[in-house]
Amino acid sequence: MNKAKMIFNQTLMISTGILFGVGVQTMLQYFSYGKSSFQWQWYIPLSIILAGFLCALATLFLTDDDVSGKSVGYIRTGLHFVAVLAIVSLCGYLFEWYTSLDEYIPIVIMYVVIYAFVWISTTWIMKSDEKKINKAIDDIRDEE
Amino acid sequence: MKVELKQADSYDDEGAVIKAVSVTDDIRNAIDILKNNGFSIPAILDNTTVMIKAGSIYYIESVDKRTYVYTKDGCFETKYRLYELEDILGINFFRCSKAMIVNIRKIRAVKAEMNARLNAELLNGERLIISRGYVKELKRKLGV
Repeated sequence: MNKAKMIFNQTLMISTGILFGVGVQTMLQYFSYGKSSFQWQWYIPLSIILAGFLCALATLFLTDDDVSGKSVGYIRTGLHFVAVLAIVSLCGYLFEWYTSLDEYIPIVIMYVVIYAFVWISTTWIMKSDEKKINKAIDDIRDEE
Repeated sequence: MKVELKQADSYDDEGAVIKAVSVTDDIRNAIDILKNNGFSIPAILDNTTVMIKAGSIYYIESVDKRTYVYTKDGCFETKYRLYELEDILGINFFRCSKAMIVNIRKIRAVKAEMNARLNAELLNGERLIISRGYVKELKRKLGV
């Protein structure tokens, strides 16, 4: 997959993730305070796409898969987690997704939940692929 | 389809005859497998040119614009570029990273790693990384 396509796909996925977060937050607000509507400024959807794009760039540079070593992988994942949180926080501050600490904390919690969900589901999919690939390789492997 | 195996007296007598009403994808794949395993590429070892059978190649690596062919017993340099070999060697081989082609039939097993890449153990015990961007191609080749 070329880099432009990867950035495009990542931008779409991350933007969708943020919109999902907004949806969940709206639902929680309804059940907590009975607030049944949610309004935002005209530029908020654009700011979400911009945040998605910046996070996609961080993903591209910090998860380059040509590096080897498990410890390097963990360090890069940690750096990626922090970098994407920083981007989301900065975009949130600049575009006023939050205006106080009380509004910021739910965003951080949502971010951690979505990051963990994506990480676990990716690992689960890869493990499933591992089994399928090993089964297919068993059928064609040369005798040694 | 009926498959009949006859004992040949020597390697020179080895051959395959396929009787088919039409050349389907399966038959084309079978022809590719039969031809490519017998196909040889010239390579150099200690200033001597040797012919290496495609079926005996484990993997091919490009380092500093030089191309090296790895078999069970050794490492040979070849004048072919990686992209040329990718075309020549056919369906048993696939690009597993920017600088490497691997023979699928020489993979003992794969293990899922971080960043959606795979760690492949070859029949000779060596380990290679299948980069995230090439996992899809491996799955396609294996019909997974």
